[in-house]
Amino acid sequence: MRAAAITLGLALLPAHAFAQFGNPAFMAPDTKMEKPGVPAPNQTNNTDRLFAQLLAAGGMAEVDLGKLAADKTDHDGVKNFANRMVQDHSKANDLLKSIAEKSKIPLPGELDADHQKMRADLEKLNGTEFDLAYLSGQIVDHQKTVQLLSWQIGSGQDAELQHFAADQLPIVLDHLQMALTLRAELAGQATAEPAKAQ
Amino acid sequence: MPRFVSLALPCVVVMGAAAFSMAVASDPLPPDLSYRPLPTMPFSAIRANDEAQKPAVMERQRNLLNDRYDLANRPIPGVMMSGGRKPVQQGVRVKLPAGETWDSLAAKSPEEIRQNGLLPKGFMPLPHVKQAAGGQVFPENQIGKIGRDEGRDLRRFDVDFDLPDQMTPEFPPPIFLTTHPELGDVSHGDVLTIKNFYEYMVGILTPVQLEGLRLLLTPFPQEEFNQTEDRKVAMQSTGVACLDCHANFHTNAAFHQTPDVRPQASRFRLDTTSLRGLFNQQIHGSKRSLRSVEDFSEFEQRTAYFNGDHMSATRKGVNLPDRPNQVAMMAQMQNIIDFPPAPKLDPLNRLDPTKASEQELKGEQVFMGKGRCAECHIPALSFMDNNMHDLKLERFYKIGQTFNDMVAIPDGPIKTFTLRGIKDSPPYLHDGRLMTLADTVEFFNLVLGTKLNQEEKDALVAYMLTL
Repeated sequence: MRAAAITLGLALLPAHAFAQFGNPAFMAPDTKMEKPGVPAPNQTNNTDRLFAQLLAAGGMAEVDLGKLAADKTDHDGVKNFANRMVQDHSKANDLLKSIAEKSKIPLPGELDADHQKMRADLEKLNGTEFDLAYLSGQIVDHQKTVQLLSWQIGSGQDAELQHFAADQLPIVLDHLQMALTLRAELAGQATAEPAKAQ
Repeated sequence: MPRFVSLALPCVVVMGAAAFSMAVASDPLPPDLSYRPLPTMPFSAIRANDEAQKPAVMERQRNLLNDRYDLANRPIPGVMMSGGRKPVQQGVRVKLPAGETWDSLAAKSPEEIRQNGLLPKGFMPLPHVKQAAGGQVFPENQIGKIGRDEGRDLRRFDVDFDLPDQMTPEFPPPIFLTTHPELGDVSHGDVLTIKNFYEYMVGILTPVQLEGLRLLLTPFPQEEFNQTEDRKVAMQSTGVACLDCHANFHTNAAFHQTPDVRPQASRFRLDTTSLRGLFNQQIHGSKRSLRSVEDFSEFEQRTAYFNGDHMSATRKGVNLPDRPNQVAMMAQMQNIIDFPPAPKLDPLNRLDPTKASEQELKGEQVFMGKGRCAECHIPALSFMDNNMHDLKLERFYKIGQTFNDMVAIPDGPIKTFTLRGIKDSPPYLHDGRLMTLADTVEFFNLVLGTKLNQEEKDALVAYMLTL
């Protein structure tokens, strides 16, 4: 039964799953090796641990603020966006949590100070003012997340976390483009055409 | 006096409020996204890991290259590079997605190509052989030459050069001087090194040019080649010289990553550019648009050498050439490197109809008209426009995909490169993602939507071979 579950798990992994390598210059010195030069599964370095914590904090805020925005906004586009944030980031948060458990990385349990303040500020606003403030916050958060994911892909050691980052990056770039387009619409700005939201 | 106080007080209050609001700014991203981290393991452990990984790293890159390109050795009969040492490769080498032809692809809109993932992978940004580690990688011929002449080791223990020899420029490339067109190639058929340059060049160059050349051939510490534990060469190294990549002021296809982008995974590959015709080039660097070769020569000690990380440069031993003396001499030497002869071109770089074939003339017509090449590659300006342009290739693919640890983000504006002597400098584009001139024709036909037919495409290639 267990063997079957493992086989199934392997079959579900994306094709590139075994194509990646840690960055040996920046491996943790206590890394256990599967074979020379290849870290055993779920062996983390400093980048993995900081990445997982920062991404978990960001992901939690996405869901929390998404629920707030879906409830508060009167704009259909913003509501759709907020719902998509709740949906996509809930999924990503669960995935990250399961990898972090295997890799023994403690994740934050509540909103960080930055997002608590953002939430408190947003609660005071209404209408277009709220929409613009929510989207502006989303743009900065997604810009940071894009860079963090890219950082993990290049500097992480835990292959499972690196694959997670590579899988999330196009999704988060989509979110960023959606937020940019929506905010520009609401603020009457010109939009950048090339990578418009799907 | 009281009036002064009453004016000053509100200012203090306003300043105080501004300072307070700035103080609650959120946490920045971790510094390692921008700065190179210090090594976490002893050199011996890093080296052992890197050497153990190397076969798999090389195999992975070979798989990516074979998936994207046909790398077979198929030269164009009778067409050699300017030194007559290496044939020019023929045909389109980028592989098409299943079920497509170049014409069927060109008939589709960018959206359709992006939505269906139909952009040929060979048109996508090309990853470094080991994206996470990055750094300068030299071809075998350069490693061998510098090892023999100088006893200096340019071989890395973590990676090898990844492209087959037929896809790189001839070695050694000839050297043509603007100051002595009558002499022809002055390279002695050899690669200039710190050991031989004086013997070959004294009597031809001025004292200032000779000193510039000496500096361009002198090794200085570099990110992967230095004396610290953070290096990728087995023994402590005195470094690399400018002309280790720009061999004979041309290129040997050594590659690197852009110093201008972070984090590491997003840095695009840089194929060494030729220095021929630098005298007519008004902007320098694919991304930085530096305005003089002096600026470029000076700052390369922190960019080409240290990835744009002056902190790392300081630790490993940065060389800061003296601007009014050393930099000026290095620049003056580079500024006398000419393009190879192009006997079919007139003084303003248009084809001489008495010398060119019908197909070449047809190619020039396409180049100037339907192909839209000359809108940036202006013949009278050495086939440049001294501008940067954004081809917006991301119209055709979904950004954020990862290939061998490299994240494909939009390239953004990139400098227009000269096309003079272009047959001598494969691979093409800033990152060397295209192997042949025929590949560049298909690439730009798609990107510019010019819908050229096969006859026009063939004519364009024939024309570019005359440049």
